[in-house]
Amino acid sequence: MSVPAFLVIALPMFAAPLAYLSGHIGRSQGMIRPTPGRARITALVVLLAMWVPFALAVQQVAHGPLTIAVGVISLRVDGLTLLLAAVALVLGTLAVLFAGPDLYGEDGEEKFYAAVLVLIGAIIGVGAAGDLFNLWLWFETMAVTSYVLVPFYRQRPAALEAAVKYLVQGAVGSLIVLVGIALVLFRTGTLDLAALRTAADHSGVLLAAGACFVVGFGVKAALVPLHTWLPDAHAEAPTAVSALLSGIVIQTGLAAMVRTLSALAPSVHTWGWVLAGTGALNMMAGNLLALRQVQVKRLLAFSSVSQMGYIALGAGIALVTGQALVFQGAFFHILTHALMKTLAFLAAGALLYVLHAETHGPLVVDDLSGAWQRYPLPAFALSVAVLGLAGLPPLAGFMSKWQIFAAGIEAGNTVIALLVVFAALNTTLSFAYYGRLAIAVYRRPPQFGGGRSLPVAMAVPLGALSLAVIAIGMWPQLVSWLTAPAGRALGGGL
Amino acid sequence: MATWLVALTIGLPWIGAALVVTFGRRLKLAEALAVSSAVVAAIAGLALLPFASSAPVIRVPAGEIFGEFTFVPDGLGVFMAVVATVIGALCVIFSLDYMRGETQLSRYYGFVLLFIGAMAGLALTGSLLLLVLFWELVALCSYALIAFHADDPRAAAAGIKALIITQLGGVGLLVGVLVASTHLRSYDISTLLAGISSLDPATRGIVAFGFLAAAAAKSAQLPFHTWLPDAMEAPTPVSALIHAATMVNAGVYLIVRFVPAFGPVPGWTTAVMLIGLLSALAGAAMALSTTDLKRVLAYSTISQLGLMFYAAGAGGIFAAQFHLLSHSVFKALLFLAAGAVIHATGTREMREMGGLAKQMPVVAATFAIGTLALVGVPVFNGFWSKEMILETAGHGGGAAVLLIAAALTAMYALRTTWMVFYGAARAAPGQDASPAMRTALIPLAVGTTTTWLLAGPFSRLLAGTLPYHRLKIISTGQMITSVVPATALALPVVAVGLIIWWERGRLVPLTAHLRGIERAAAGGFGFEWINTGVIRLTESAAAAMSLVQSGLLARNLALVMAALLAALVVAAVVAR
Repeated sequence: MSVPAFLVIALPMFAAPLAYLSGHIGRSQGMIRPTPGRARITALVVLLAMWVPFALAVQQVAHGPLTIAVGVISLRVDGLTLLLAAVALVLGTLAVLFAGPDLYGEDGEEKFYAAVLVLIGAIIGVGAAGDLFNLWLWFETMAVTSYVLVPFYRQRPAALEAAVKYLVQGAVGSLIVLVGIALVLFRTGTLDLAALRTAADHSGVLLAAGACFVVGFGVKAALVPLHTWLPDAHAEAPTAVSALLSGIVIQTGLAAMVRTLSALAPSVHTWGWVLAGTGALNMMAGNLLALRQVQVKRLLAFSSVSQMGYIALGAGIALVTGQALVFQGAFFHILTHALMKTLAFLAAGALLYVLHAETHGPLVVDDLSGAWQRYPLPAFALSVAVLGLAGLPPLAGFMSKWQIFAAGIEAGNTVIALLVVFAALNTTLSFAYYGRLAIAVYRRPPQFGGGRSLPVAMAVPLGALSLAVIAIGMWPQLVSWLTAPAGRALGGGL
Repeated sequence: MATWLVALTIGLPWIGAALVVTFGRRLKLAEALAVSSAVVAAIAGLALLPFASSAPVIRVPAGEIFGEFTFVPDGLGVFMAVVATVIGALCVIFSLDYMRGETQLSRYYGFVLLFIGAMAGLALTGSLLLLVLFWELVALCSYALIAFHADDPRAAAAGIKALIITQLGGVGLLVGVLVASTHLRSYDISTLLAGISSLDPATRGIVAFGFLAAAAAKSAQLPFHTWLPDAMEAPTPVSALIHAATMVNAGVYLIVRFVPAFGPVPGWTTAVMLIGLLSALAGAAMALSTTDLKRVLAYSTISQLGLMFYAAGAGGIFAAQFHLLSHSVFKALLFLAAGAVIHATGTREMREMGGLAKQMPVVAATFAIGTLALVGVPVFNGFWSKEMILETAGHGGGAAVLLIAAALTAMYALRTTWMVFYGAARAAPGQDASPAMRTALIPLAVGTTTTWLLAGPFSRLLAGTLPYHRLKIISTGQMITSVVPATALALPVVAVGLIIWWERGRLVPLTAHLRGIERAAAGGFGFEWINTGVIRLTESAAAAMSLVQSGLLARNLALVMAALLAALVVAAVVAR
């Protein structure tokens, strides 16, 4: 058993109660001042400490997948696990850093940090599951944690409504996944993903199981038309949660789906095509719905629906062709999108915080006027993020979209090539709303007083992510050490 | 040496941009940084001319997916980079006075410098991937600078419109590059030029017409031209640099660069020529029917770029490039002079100008020089290059269309000069060009009168470094002797154009018949109608789509169940 790999998963799970207690005990003992912010320190320390076992695990995985066996539970850490872990760690660290001033002293603050730790551990767990039972368990852990995180502002009816919709739809999705797992067990007698690759046949039962996986995981991955919960949940959650949900949670849903479907080897082509087609649907629906939005966070949520389309298109083509390079493209876009979308949400959240933190009211596009003059860093960060999402160079989104498009043309199939053209046209359509956002921050400020200064804890994530988005756009090879092994984890050579 | 010069030409403006943004709060320093980086980049670009060669001087391997990032300083690339950096430097200098007092100048200079570097990169790169990258990067700069006055909703809308329409065409380039590089297993431009014949005809057609769509959109050719007049919301130095002298030329550059590869594709050269002819004619007609000074120049750019498209399609590579050089210089001059006028009068409406020649002698003189070059009066540079294009056309129907366009050009150019600088004074008294403006205007005016003398060296530069184009070297003397006889036809046509405008009062019965054409031209020949149609369609699709997003949990769950049913149907169909 690999100790670093074990620690990467175990640390956040074991530290979560600690974070909760460290924030909570001080209060219940009736001290004069409660101790807000303490749970955050614990969480931050744990997240930073996790980088050490993570780095060791990266080195070990280069020689082949690692196994973690505790009793009967057996996990398998490969390139895809590490990619999800890296994204979850980066996003988690920055979100916790950012949330400090945002949630300082809010009711339930310590629960938030504990839940974020569980969420990060669960995401890594989904990536590491080697059999369908563990996969479902980790997946549900992730889902339940995110249901709790969305209604953080529980005095707000809209947040509660969003959470209930998310919970009910998510639960239905999980149930459908469970039915799929039952069908697999019924037909093959095994749940182990590696064994399933050889045991699976082209029977109706397993095809029905595949359908269950596409739809069940598809709810969490926000595939159209299963995405209807997403805009409410992602817009109503606290900024740090919005960033995590849009940046990595929905992508983890897709990763779980892709891992499961690729184990059903004989029918993988079918589901690849379905996924690619759904991807096209996602782009169009997300773009069209985003066009009409005036609330910034809601607009970004719809942008996630459309961006999931590119990832699903890439993953679909990858399932059809089975090539590692194609998987790598889809995973590359997961990574760049996570950075760009987190940057966008954090920048919007920072502006929300400095402009009207007390009300938690929605930030509309007109509120962005004057942001450049008063808050240059969030304004710059927001424009970098949305222009990167639009796929303009020299930003990261250009390179990852390019890789997906190149993979599509490379597949040498007319229908896939047409899907790529459709995706490229959709990118053009998306300029209409991304461009509008980027312009809005450079308008002249309205006549208003007040507005507080930007805390350092918010400035640091914005600066770091902006740099990363530009650097990866200029030099895409920077992250191939993560994306290439992730691609090889699922696909074969050329 | 060449390696360093290429790196400096592209990199210096970018370093300048980063520094300008960093020190944006200290205006004087930022301005000094902007000017110095642009000027040094221009010097580096000029110094690159003797080192032109067809071999790559920078090669950076970027892994198996992204190929090799290469830069090749061949004649075509160096020439375009010189135009971008030299005119870029002059426009930055002009901006010092033109933009004085504006806010957020670090954003302005930052994007202008980013653009200059990106345009030089676009010209010099030898990699198809980087070609697409720079292609979109200049579109980003263009969008950001058109929408620079973010408070003006028209500027914001124009910026987004320019981005969307040029990128719509850019999809063609993207797909073309991806298809070509997939089949050739290389991103190398010279591999595409050498190996195009190994592709099957259908693939070659996709690549060739994809590139053509991108080129037409970037160069504002029909039917994509509608973004360019709206783009005139940009600050005038930006219009001069991006929307007259450099970025819009990228389309012509693309055609010329790949003409050896796509020429044999059936219908391709015909399509290029047709687009060029229609744009030349329609642009000139539209220029005649507007009274907004900058829009006249924008329509004129569409028309002049049409001439270059035509020439490139008809095989006159050198003529197209030579006119590109002339046009870059004289159109930048016209725009900057117009900028000086707009700066002084505070309006773009020509009906509110008039009689400005007395108050602004330097501006009037330089604008007049630009006008003469645009009309094609000897000995200005536009005369020689336009005559070469007419010569390329021979005596067919194309030549007739070009001659009509030339006559219309003479008419609108004279009309514009007259309305702005002569006649009754309607404007508030304005000031003549300031020193910084003169520093930009006078070199361009000198260039407008002299760049034609460079025909010989320019021809040697192109012929010597473009192995696939098989160009003939001609000397300046040969050019003169070949052009002069041809003028027998063209000059009278220009004269007719001038006379028609001059005698317009007496030709009222005739012009009454042409009202319909004029009205159609004023309406942009209905192409704007296509745009609004597409926008309306998109909006109604968005409205329909929001029905899916009902926000009702029961409906959401029904959708989940419907999706499950659909997936099971797929499973059932596949299982059979």
